[in-house]
Amino acid sequence: MLSRLSLTARLTAFYTLVSAAVLVGMGFLVSNATGRHFVELDRDYLLDKIGLVQQIVREAPSHEVLSARLDELVDSHRGLLIGLRRGDEPVYGHEDPLFFARLPGASTGAEPASWRLGTQTLRGLSAQLEAPSRLQPGGMVHPWHLSIAVDTVHHAHFMTDLQQTLALYLLGAILLSGLLGWWAARRGLAPLRVMKERAMGVTAQKLDQRMPVEAVPLELADLAHSLNTMLDRLQSAFVRLQDFSSDLAHELRTPINNLLTQTQVSLAQKREASAYQDILASNAEEFQRLGRMVSDMLFLAKTENGIELPHRESISLHQETQALFEFYEAVAEDKHIRLLVTGEARVMGDRLMIRRAIGNLLSNALRHSPAHAEVHVTIETRGDVTRLCLSNSGPGIPPEALPRLFDRFFRVDKSRSQPQSDGTGLGLSITQAIMAAHGGSVSAHSEDGSTCFCLVFPGGVPSTASPV
Amino acid sequence: MKILIVEDEPKTGDYLRQGLREAGFVVDLVANGTDGLHHASEGGHDLVILDVMLPGLDGWQVLQGMRSRGQQTPVLFLTARDQVEDRVKGLELGADDYLVKPFSFAELLARVRTILRRGRSGMEATTLVVADLELDLLRRRVSRGGKRIDLTAKEFGLLELLMRRQGEVLPRTLIASQVWDMNFDSDTNVIEVAMRRLRTKVDDPFEPRLIQTVRGMGYVLEVPEDAR
Repeated sequence: MLSRLSLTARLTAFYTLVSAAVLVGMGFLVSNATGRHFVELDRDYLLDKIGLVQQIVREAPSHEVLSARLDELVDSHRGLLIGLRRGDEPVYGHEDPLFFARLPGASTGAEPASWRLGTQTLRGLSAQLEAPSRLQPGGMVHPWHLSIAVDTVHHAHFMTDLQQTLALYLLGAILLSGLLGWWAARRGLAPLRVMKERAMGVTAQKLDQRMPVEAVPLELADLAHSLNTMLDRLQSAFVRLQDFSSDLAHELRTPINNLLTQTQVSLAQKREASAYQDILASNAEEFQRLGRMVSDMLFLAKTENGIELPHRESISLHQETQALFEFYEAVAEDKHIRLLVTGEARVMGDRLMIRRAIGNLLSNALRHSPAHAEVHVTIETRGDVTRLCLSNSGPGIPPEALPRLFDRFFRVDKSRSQPQSDGTGLGLSITQAIMAAHGGSVSAHSEDGSTCFCLVFPGGVPSTASPV
Repeated sequence: MKILIVEDEPKTGDYLRQGLREAGFVVDLVANGTDGLHHASEGGHDLVILDVMLPGLDGWQVLQGMRSRGQQTPVLFLTARDQVEDRVKGLELGADDYLVKPFSFAELLARVRTILRRGRSGMEATTLVVADLELDLLRRRVSRGGKRIDLTAKEFGLLELLMRRQGEVLPRTLIASQVWDMNFDSDTNVIEVAMRRLRTKVDDPFEPRLIQTVRGMGYVLEVPEDAR
């Protein structure tokens, strides 16, 4: 549920929650401190009044004067309540024994007690007073108790007002901070929207759009960079695919066009049976080449889509090379080319596919080597890779053609639209795809007068015992 | 020899029927899986050529239906999808062979004959003879008109294949696979060159020429008609 919420909403909610917690805490502190301050004030007030009563008691010549003075005092101070007792005998004011019992003594330094009496909220203290002997009847010395309280209704009013104001302020502040949070989140996430707009601009036709790495915050720069490299890969793959499609169309169109023309020309007039036979045979050869091209492309498409190897077994590269030498023996002898293989290693892989990979290199070398040349295959395991390198003398490959050598349908000699052999132009691409499927690679380098292709397999077990 | 073709693509079906008839077989053609299963279950065919993608029942179901009714006629699959799983599935269900489209007719014919030859091997011959050409399998010797011919091991294998299947047109892919165990389409003229070298030894010094090239199809070893 929460994970479906937008980032802005989440950030806003979080921000609001945090500021609400802080502000409410502050409100409690203020209201508490104010309350305590009022208690202090009341205490000072009550202590002051205790002093006054003591003075009145001390100076009063008689009980009558004392009562009159105390009446004056009570009348001139609103909300002041006084109870005065001599021993257990009430002298003045409140006579409720509870009023006396519950109040803490001023001399103990305790906080004034607070309680409700009818509509009043009272806060009070008690004290022992010294009384002159003229006020002590019968010469007896009784302790005088004073209980004094004040109505704190005005404080309560103030507190209620304060709390209401605080609550209103808090509400406003929380709303405002929420709003600010929302605005900040939107501002903070603005680079994401920029990236989104850029991403929406990316189409097959406009793959050159890139994320603004410099213009976004540090946290997003990494993401933008990763997205850019992804786009780079997609673009290059897409361009290759486009090239491939147009190459494919061209590669298929030429032979189909030839076939169509030839067929239509031969149908244009009556011919001898042998002429028809020739045409059909030639067509059959062309069709076979087309069929092979389609099979090769299917093989490539499957292999490049990351297939599981059909079989996986330990394969002797030396033996496979020997078997291929036997296959190509006649062609090599025809051109007086010597075939040599040295070294041995075993690798894990699919026999048919590895044969095909090496076979493509070998047939390539035989096609491009001049007569009396030498094709040399060396196999060695060094470190954790096994290399099978096939070198042959020959005209060499121009350096600018090397990087494209493994592209489909790529031919060094562009002018040769119809290859002299019946190759499909996919051999080296297939070798590359097979090596990729085995977790390896293929590379080519060429100097004047010699060319070398290397198949690199991961792992491999070196073996000195070369089988015959 | 009677062959049942189950193929829904009309053009393919017609050409297969014509080609196999002209190769000397009796051919029935049906265009959907239901009819295919019905005909195949009746028996009386020596081979069923079965397309995988069929209306009604697909090729797998037809094969399963046949085998579950105890019908053991050999089956050759035609599939447009060269997937390993397809191959494995077909062979597990009891198919005898498969071909991936597009295939050459010569290839199909060669496979058909291979399947039909199975199970009637009888006594294995130790000497193959065509006209005055003799091939001794035990001593691995070849002679023609009484004259000894020296062949390399692979040339011997090639000649043996041609002689064992004399009169049959063998496509290059089949030759590469049977003689050299190269089970992929090679884009060079390897077979052509090997065949030419074999001819210079076996045919050139003699009459008549036994190894013929059938353009667009492959090679065949037979005594030419004008020499019979």
